Amino acid sequence: MPKQRVWDLPVRLTHWLLAALIAFSWWSVKNDHVDWHIWSGIAILTLLLFRLMWGFVGSSTARFANFVRGPKQVVRYLRGDWRGIGHSPLGALSILALFLVTAAQVGLGLFNEDDDGLFAGPLANFLSPDTTDKIRDLHETNFYILLGLIGLHVAAILYYRLVRGKKLTKPMITGRAANDASAGEMRPGKWWVALICLALAFAISRWVVAGAPLP
Amino acid sequence: MRTKLFTAGFAFVLVSACGSSSSSQAKNQSANVINGAAAVAAAKPLTKDQAHAVMHERHEGMEDVGKQNKVLRRELTASAPNLSVVRGATATIARHASEATHWFPAGTGPDLGKTGAKPEIWQKPQDFGVKLHNFQVAARALDAAAKAGDLNAIKARYADIGGTCKACHDSYRTDMHH
Repeated sequence: MPKQRVWDLPVRLTHWLLAALIAFSWWSVKNDHVDWHIWSGIAILTLLLFRLMWGFVGSSTARFANFVRGPKQVVRYLRGDWRGIGHSPLGALSILALFLVTAAQVGLGLFNEDDDGLFAGPLANFLSPDTTDKIRDLHETNFYILLGLIGLHVAAILYYRLVRGKKLTKPMITGRAANDASAGEMRPGKWWVALICLALAFAISRWVVAGAPLP
Repeated sequence: MRTKLFTAGFAFVLVSACGSSSSSQAKNQSANVINGAAAVAAAKPLTKDQAHAVMHERHEGMEDVGKQNKVLRRELTASAPNLSVVRGATATIARHASEATHWFPAGTGPDLGKTGAKPEIWQKPQDFGVKLHNFQVAARALDAAAKAGDLNAIKARYADIGGTCKACHDSYRTDMHH
């Protein structure tokens, strides 16, 4: 089958940078580099904001409206009765869960501070020390949920590779996959729209870092 | 071309995010510790009950230092810090800092019960003593600055004491979950 475009560059970069930064966040906080951990979280926030916007104005396979489907479509997909490119209706649930749990993790991190009060997320000062104590527990617990979802994500990729004979990792690197032409084509987004999204994501992140000051 | 633009954009975000990181590492105070090991040496072995009592006091004290530190950050980053709140917090930290001289007698490590104190405290008493002393000096300096009332000086001493907390905790405390 001929190879055709499935994932555009913003989707692929966001994906791999998220994977790398989540790993780095874990490593840095376990090795007493809390300042790096916080900046890594801010970078993840920027990526999530970008991906959220790209999910509305990006390429066809990046748009939530094109891949988030109801339970009926999930059942159809499980019956083997679904055609299309990009996220499958079942995979879409995984993407949504990963996105929401990662967003919750970053959101909690913004209000978190350590036991000693030496390091704090940029918004921690809005809450009392007693409240941030609870946020710290939630930030830790939610990470295990995120870790579980990442494990499920990797397990699903292995299942498709080993049982179904479908390679999912390489398309996320090259952006291309062998697809039945009848499944449709990816409609790319505009590069300048991506840059605007990136600039906006960056601006919002800087505002959060500054402690979200109101005018 | 597009590829390069996107890549440059992403790289820009990450570099900018990292570039503006400001760490409040305090300079290490050059402490003149006459007897650094005193803090961790016990005159005579503690009974189990005494040791548990010390560990409890230590835990509560350290927790309170952390809490006061958070109160301080909230005040010192506020547009109009409340000096009486600041002074209350620095006085409490200074009091705990002086109590800390008696918080680490031999036999109050992880062998006895749940604690964030690492065994290294009693294996390197000299170094630990210096770090504890640095904290005590910084706590007194912070409290003195708060009493004097100059905000910039208070903020500088606040940064200093944070450095002394971290210097000791990085080497001598494990992650604690309570």
